[in-house]
Amino acid sequence: MKSPLTWARLTSLLGLGMSSCPTAATPVTAATPETLANAPRHPDRAATIREQHLPNIPLTTQDGRKVHFYDDLVKGRVVTINFMYTKCSGVCVPSTANLAKVQKSLGDRMGRDVTFLSFSLDAEEDTPETLNEFARDNDVGPGWFFLTGQKADIELLRRKLGAYELDPAVDADRSQHTGVVILGNEPKGRWQAISALSHPVRIRQAIERTLLPPSQWRVGREAIAEVPFEKSPASQKLVEPVDLSRLPPLDP
Amino acid sequence: MKNLNHGSPKKRVSPHRKFTRRELVKWGIVGGGTAMFGLRPAWVRASRSGSLSRAPVTTPFLMELLPGRGLAPVSQPVTPFPTMEDPGDCINEDHSQAFHVSGPREVPPNTEFHLIQVAPVSHLFHPALPANVLWGYGGQVPGPTFVARSGTPQLIRFVNQLPEDDAVGIGVPTLAVHRHGGHQAPQDDGYPLDTFCPGQSRDYYYPNSPAAGLLQNEHSTTWYHDHAIDVTSQNVYRGLSGCYLNFNPLDTGSELDPAPALGLPSGEFDVPLVLQDRLFDANGFLYYDSFDHNGFLGNKFLVNGLIQPFLRVARRKYRFRILNGSNARFYNLVLSNGRPFTVIGTDSNLLERPIAVSSFPIGPGERVEVIVDFRGTTLGQKIQLVNRLEQTDGRKPGDLVSPGVPLMEFQVNRDAPDFSRVPDVLLPITEGPRELLHQVKIQRTFKFGRSNGAWVINGELFDENRIQADPRRGTSEIWHFESGGGWTHPVHLHNFEMFILGRDGARPPLLERGRKDIINVGGPYPNASVLIKFDYDFSEQPGRYAFHCHTTEHEDMRMMGQFEVL
Repeated sequence: MKSPLTWARLTSLLGLGMSSCPTAATPVTAATPETLANAPRHPDRAATIREQHLPNIPLTTQDGRKVHFYDDLVKGRVVTINFMYTKCSGVCVPSTANLAKVQKSLGDRMGRDVTFLSFSLDAEEDTPETLNEFARDNDVGPGWFFLTGQKADIELLRRKLGAYELDPAVDADRSQHTGVVILGNEPKGRWQAISALSHPVRIRQAIERTLLPPSQWRVGREAIAEVPFEKSPASQKLVEPVDLSRLPPLDP
Repeated sequence: MKNLNHGSPKKRVSPHRKFTRRELVKWGIVGGGTAMFGLRPAWVRASRSGSLSRAPVTTPFLMELLPGRGLAPVSQPVTPFPTMEDPGDCINEDHSQAFHVSGPREVPPNTEFHLIQVAPVSHLFHPALPANVLWGYGGQVPGPTFVARSGTPQLIRFVNQLPEDDAVGIGVPTLAVHRHGGHQAPQDDGYPLDTFCPGQSRDYYYPNSPAAGLLQNEHSTTWYHDHAIDVTSQNVYRGLSGCYLNFNPLDTGSELDPAPALGLPSGEFDVPLVLQDRLFDANGFLYYDSFDHNGFLGNKFLVNGLIQPFLRVARRKYRFRILNGSNARFYNLVLSNGRPFTVIGTDSNLLERPIAVSSFPIGPGERVEVIVDFRGTTLGQKIQLVNRLEQTDGRKPGDLVSPGVPLMEFQVNRDAPDFSRVPDVLLPITEGPRELLHQVKIQRTFKFGRSNGAWVINGELFDENRIQADPRRGTSEIWHFESGGGWTHPVHLHNFEMFILGRDGARPPLLERGRKDIINVGGPYPNASVLIKFDYDFSEQPGRYAFHCHTTEHEDMRMMGQFEVL
């Protein structure tokens, strides 16, 4: 019969008695070029992300071209990714309109430095032809692909890219996944997300921060003021005596 | 309300209690899954495969907290240096490497100058893991501890020596330093777009004088951490945080000082303990999932940057400044010997009176200052600081469990003289709700919610040039905070403290009756009403500050608002 494991026995098993405790483990020192070069290698960020998050699923573009997600769409690129479906009448409409404005503001960087990828959550309805028509209706230019594929593949992709809700009931509502843009710089392994309903200038700025090295980021006052100053619809209300009477009594 | 319960835990951790295999697995003492506590939904687990399936076993209580390793050195002042003009943007117009500062500045002659290089550091979390290349203020994790005295301003120049690129790829080397809990001008507050890049630096001026000149507004435990747009969570995770301690005429920093000095435990007996969690891959390298916007949880617990360390203690009173520096994890702490904590401070301020509790909750960004008395223990005794709170995702804290996970161990190894005192009155409130409430004219409601996969406050997305409130300087307002959808959000208000008036009409729990700069709402935490006095005297210009969720993944996805003090 195994003897029970107790705190006392555990510490002795692990050699954690006071007498046997190591008192001077490797000191933590500032890195020098030598120690950094000799240290075991941290896995490459881009490679880890490719392995964990960028499945090479088969897809079809709005032009009917057969492509693979990682190999043909993401590898070596800066991308924006969103989920939509053409029959969507809710938040997809302003999301797509917003992205169209961002597309315009990116000018000739579109398709050269930045690729937009829009994935249909409705594989049955959204054939390449439907998507092509949708793209034409939304004034989509070069460098913006609308993609459809197997439903299970798109679901996998959505979850891998973080466009999911933890609450299964909320996750079942497609409209919850159509309001976010995922931004990625694949070679650098840099990924983030922003609401597709943010001001198009903010989305463009976030894309620029994903694309450019930090030394070329435009930040500070000028970047802030690119969108005119606004005050939210008044959150404020006057305090009425009845409001104070609703508060619990103060400490004596 | 379970998590607000400050009562006795259901079960104490007895030194002779048997361990279940599940507990050992959870601590990583025997091989097992990645989750320390509970399981993530199947498809979340499935999304982590291969090298992320299992972290190496790390025996707890192997690393000792020692000066320079876990116990951060105190930053020492340097010879004053000239301050220079702000080129106004992250990139200098002439592409030079000139200092980027928010000067030029005229600072009072008694200002202490500090110079901190922000640099990579080879860091050992635990002997069973390889060294990880982190980013550290002063090339250290955690960063050097600043010790400030009321009335002595500090000007700190942070120099960004981080590489433009590194293969680790966690964090982006653009920086904004926020002194969390500090009372400082907007340009020194670490606004998310006031960033500086590799090769540049930025000066932060901390006046270290209490708001409105009131003794009650003297600060105690504040901290500093990165606050750069989009990347706060990754940059803090990579190592960019440290403690900033404040002393004043009452809390003098020496237990030898006679009354009216408080005489709290001081010197080596005043110890910051920074709680964090980190996720390690099968080879012991740090991993961060930048696709997890729900709130990122780790599979190992750190105190002051070391995995489950131990601290040798004397049989006397200690002051522990406990900071939850985690991205998304909530804790509920208890001592394994069942002894109480005497809480003396919450967030940035000391309490009016100490409160004895057997356990307490602490959410992301919060601080709880406690006195732990090791008198009456035996030499050789080992006492663990235990987290009893289960959490499976970034949504909210889970249930209390027994026995929980030990975060660190106190090993009683000596006697030491103890001149410290814990007076019945610590920091008297002379201007609180009793004095201010009848003057309040304005109230505002902020509902923290989620809509179409993004965060909103009152249904609105964040914009850098939009303000949600414009309180007048010197006035007090009542703000109501609400949360929807079952999420808990630790809401942090920059630069000003809150008096919590109530939660859903009920008086707040004991530990929320002092002042707070973070308030948890949602999940187990009911809606809250708070009183804020906007003491703002840094300039004639309006001062713009942020308030945001301190689950840093929510913050990076813009769960943020701004207010402008007119």
